[in-house]
Amino acid sequence: MRPWFVAALLLLTLAGCGERTAPEDPAGFAGLGEAAGDFAQARRGNALRFPEDHAAHPDYRIEWWYLTANLADARGEPLGLQWTLFRQALTPPDERPAPTPWAADQLWMAHMAVSRGDTHRVAERFARSHSAETGGQAGTRAEPFRAWVDHWQLASRVDASDEANTDDTFAALQLTAHQDDEHGGFGYDLTLTAEGPLVAHGAAGFSQKAADGQGSMYYSQPFWRIEGEVTLDGETREVSGRGWLDREWSSQLLDERQQGWDWFSLHLEDGHRLMAFQLRGGGPDGGDYRSGTWISPAGEPTALGPDEIGLTPLASREVEGREVPTRWRLEVPRAGVELIVEAPHAERWMDTSVPYWEGEVIARDADSGQDRDRRRGVGYLEMTGY
Amino acid sequence: MLTALATLLSHYRRHPGQLAMLLLGLWVAGALWSGVQAINASARDSYSRAEALFTTGLDRLERRDGEPLTRDDYLRLRRAGLPVSPLLEGSLEGLDGTQLTVIGIDPLTLPGDNAFAAASRQGELTAFLTPPWQTRVAPDTLPSLGVNARQAHGAEPRLAEGRLPPLMPSPTLPPGTLVMDIAAAARLLDSGERITRLVSAPGMLERAPEGLVLTRAATLVSPGQLTESFHLNLTAMALLALVVGLFIVQAALGLALEQRLGMLRTLRALGVSGRGLVGLLALELALLGLVGAVAGIVSGVWLASLLLPDVAATLGSLYGAEVAVTLNLPWHYWLGGLAVTLGGLLLAGSGVLWRAARLSVLGLGQAQAWRSGFLRQLRGMALAGGGVTALGLVLWAWLSRQPPGEGLVAGFGLIAALLLASALWLPPLLALALAGLGRLVRRHPLAQWALADLQLQLPRLALAMMALLIALAANLGVSSMVGGFRLTFLDWLDQRLVADYYLRPAPEQFDTVQAWLAERPEVAELLPTRHAEATLVEIDGPDGLRAPHLPVGLYGITPGESLIPSWPLLATRAGRDAAWQAFAAGEAAFVNEQLAIDQRLEPGDRLTLTAPAGQETLTVAAVYPDYGNPRGEVLLATPRLAERFAAAPSSIGLVLAAEADEAALRDALRRRFALGGDALVDQREVKRMSVEIFERTFTITRALSALTLGVAALALLASLLAQARERRRQLAPLWALGVPRARLVTIQLAQLGGMALSVGALALPLGALLALGLVAVINVAAFGWRLPLHVFPGDLAVTLATAMGVALAAAALPATRLWRTPPRALLAEESGT
Repeated sequence: MRPWFVAALLLLTLAGCGERTAPEDPAGFAGLGEAAGDFAQARRGNALRFPEDHAAHPDYRIEWWYLTANLADARGEPLGLQWTLFRQALTPPDERPAPTPWAADQLWMAHMAVSRGDTHRVAERFARSHSAETGGQAGTRAEPFRAWVDHWQLASRVDASDEANTDDTFAALQLTAHQDDEHGGFGYDLTLTAEGPLVAHGAAGFSQKAADGQGSMYYSQPFWRIEGEVTLDGETREVSGRGWLDREWSSQLLDERQQGWDWFSLHLEDGHRLMAFQLRGGGPDGGDYRSGTWISPAGEPTALGPDEIGLTPLASREVEGREVPTRWRLEVPRAGVELIVEAPHAERWMDTSVPYWEGEVIARDADSGQDRDRRRGVGYLEMTGY
Repeated sequence: MLTALATLLSHYRRHPGQLAMLLLGLWVAGALWSGVQAINASARDSYSRAEALFTTGLDRLERRDGEPLTRDDYLRLRRAGLPVSPLLEGSLEGLDGTQLTVIGIDPLTLPGDNAFAAASRQGELTAFLTPPWQTRVAPDTLPSLGVNARQAHGAEPRLAEGRLPPLMPSPTLPPGTLVMDIAAAARLLDSGERITRLVSAPGMLERAPEGLVLTRAATLVSPGQLTESFHLNLTAMALLALVVGLFIVQAALGLALEQRLGMLRTLRALGVSGRGLVGLLALELALLGLVGAVAGIVSGVWLASLLLPDVAATLGSLYGAEVAVTLNLPWHYWLGGLAVTLGGLLLAGSGVLWRAARLSVLGLGQAQAWRSGFLRQLRGMALAGGGVTALGLVLWAWLSRQPPGEGLVAGFGLIAALLLASALWLPPLLALALAGLGRLVRRHPLAQWALADLQLQLPRLALAMMALLIALAANLGVSSMVGGFRLTFLDWLDQRLVADYYLRPAPEQFDTVQAWLAERPEVAELLPTRHAEATLVEIDGPDGLRAPHLPVGLYGITPGESLIPSWPLLATRAGRDAAWQAFAAGEAAFVNEQLAIDQRLEPGDRLTLTAPAGQETLTVAAVYPDYGNPRGEVLLATPRLAERFAAAPSSIGLVLAAEADEAALRDALRRRFALGGDALVDQREVKRMSVEIFERTFTITRALSALTLGVAALALLASLLAQARERRRQLAPLWALGVPRARLVTIQLAQLGGMALSVGALALPLGALLALGLVAVINVAAFGWRLPLHVFPGDLAVTLATAMGVALAAAALPATRLWRTPPRALLAEESGT
């Protein structure tokens, strides 16, 4: 499960800083609770098909390619990064404009971030495209895989012209993105190598998001080994570490009453991966709706139901004028996991047109007591609607 | 206190003429001033809207070869990581014939800090980006679309090119501009994959990508800067009108005080304190001021709405600045207008209040005693006039040390000083002249009486005469300037437009068309031109090296036998022939007068310009006049410009052979090259358009100058009317002594006519001086070029005739009354005093 705010583009200002979406917004966070209308629907029983599903699904309202990574440089200093491409359909499939020059039915938004210590650099880009054409300012391709906006791109490293090569082009990717800014610029040039299989969440890829059945198609590649270079404030370092890529598409994600969420992706030291989220509001009795997936080191998923996850905020910090919980208790009794998940640096506010919090976290055993060094894993936390 | 105020005001019940004159002065002064200010405020509002738009304020990229950019160019640059955004611009004709600019944008990549982003903050992006799209348009543009404001939202007016996307009024957009998504604009303009230019936030691109030209926003002149001097001119004219109006006011106030001296003394004697009396007079002044100022502002706005279409047309044709033709006034405009009018009234009334405060309770109102007071006043005026002259001389000395082209405000100051000094010296001069004449005509008692009587009248007429002098001189100065400009400009057009036709082929056709034309028998000579932009990086002159870093236009012309003899040159290094030889050989360049004045260039200086292959250094061989151009330009021979600066082709001038079949050539051209309707322009058409633009430019100046003269005539008329009764009283004894009425009337007319004629005669040299100041100081500072001074005898005669006419018209009414008044009534009035 990934941020749902692509639809917020509907509300957003053309450039610069957008209006903050008020929590009492009637259609859920950033309008993501809007009814699906004439768009295709994500349903239980829809099957995932590869490589087609790596590329865009323009008949659905919203979609994203969402990569986060916990890296470290040669001296072991930790560094986090995020690269996200959001797609938003401007019109339902049967109302698309004729593909005249510049006419568009798809809107693209990309976010990138690099963080180290208290430094957090963020950039954002927008583009338009028509689903009837390829090679626009932004877009995606299934085989060999490629997703891009301008010169930011995530693309397969497998040479597709080589007939003899039968490798999965999605298993070896290259991520490139750079942005100039007043601090000397930041960006990355990284190779991603899958060390495990794709993981389908929920019921064979259908991930329910509310008690009354709304949801999305959702799969991940949580086993990336990443190597390459990251530039921050003009200084480039060799880095390596782990990454997590989420793919999700839907036409109505949230229940109208849901106003935000807290989402966790963790790489545990023993090779397990854990994805867990809660949607605040929209639960069985108006409470929070929780869901998640417990993933074995070999990539076998176990779907976790609303009652199988415990999430409790323990401490919060003020970031950019908002009270944001940065220390959580995360319990999955079925997997025998009871963790304290904490963001070592609270300054991870994404001051983009739709603002949210996204940053690296460290997980420890809840019973580790004063032993602050006993790490169980690292990962990313995303919080919206604060 | 109320009773005292009522008593004071009752004077105006008995003398409604004075009240009318007072209010008239205030009204006229306020109307002209606030009218012009309304025009300025409205125009500035339009500029600030235009500056907030993306047409200025963003860096631009265009192709070096002048061909249009395409969507592929845009995508290529975006994929290379350059932060560019596409802009498509085109024009449509509104339903009322006005030209509307369509701007297609991509809001997703457009740099954010512009008015459009702000305007859309509440709007929905999806509605803007998807069919049926939206047309953002300023409410003052709606009439051109045949839509009224109430039905505007969502209306889809149909123009010749097709139906517009639903309208969405946005007050922050400049007038005459339709902003829509680039997809909608591309459809409407049928422009396919082409775009007009790429834009980028200022400074985001380090250098121009291969094959493109980067124009920095900093080098694009904003309409506000360009038109500043135009508005300063208007303001100066309005100030002049205000001053003339206030002269009337002061004359009326002085008269009202004079006639109420007895009443004031009585009031003092009845126990009203001196301070209280001054307070009451001030209150009276404020009341009158308020009425006059409000009336003035209201009529000013009306006047402005009449003049604005002309101003807008002028600004549009001169500077390409779009100005709304409907008024758009900020709240501070109203307050400002009131403040200036009331402030002026206070200034004009301060003398009266001062005199009222020093009123001696027991003093007797005696004509002779009063006259001695006037003599003191004359000395004061002469002294003040001397002071103002000294100030004017200082300004002149300062200005002559300034580099030419600077000191616009000081230039206006100099002219104001000139006018004011002349006005102040006028009454002392007239008094001296009357005294001198009086001695000459000692043997002619009636003439002597007439002169002595005129001396007595002088205090009351002085102000009206001062106003007349200023108005006449201003009128003469302005008409000389405009007329001189017109002559020079028309001459210059004739010299410049030597070809019979101007052809503007598409860039890719240029060479083919040129080759084809060269073969045609109808064509005597071809004059291809080219255009490029460059930065002037270095000047090597007699004062050493300078590095101005100034953007200049480069123009290529063909120095052939048709062009060389007629192209005017202002200054050369070694004569005309040498200059043209060096120019034709490609060794030298010419610079326009604007650039020469701005950068203090002289023939012989060496210029270093940026060029695609590095830098190019050229020698200035001559300076040429370039009227109406706001920019600095460097002129080169076309082949050299094409070769060294990769200049884009611009147009081809066609000089036809004698007895060539024009129609056949035109038809052949159109058939062979499928040229668009506006690709071939007749030289006569160009001239007609240029002259039209010129005429518009000075419509306003002329209108204001005529209005000012009108105000002065009113001032004179009002002064005479106000004292008509009193005059009759003074004439009665003369009549009683046996002077026939016809004679009396003639004397009256002769008195005034003679005085006005003298004022008119004084106005002639003053007007010429003024014209000199306008062409040699103001014009150079405002526009960057100097005009030869022309004085038109016709104008001089008109000035004298106007002076006489105004005076006689003003005297005629009192004279007729005198003619009709039965002698008995005259005597009765005399005995009544």
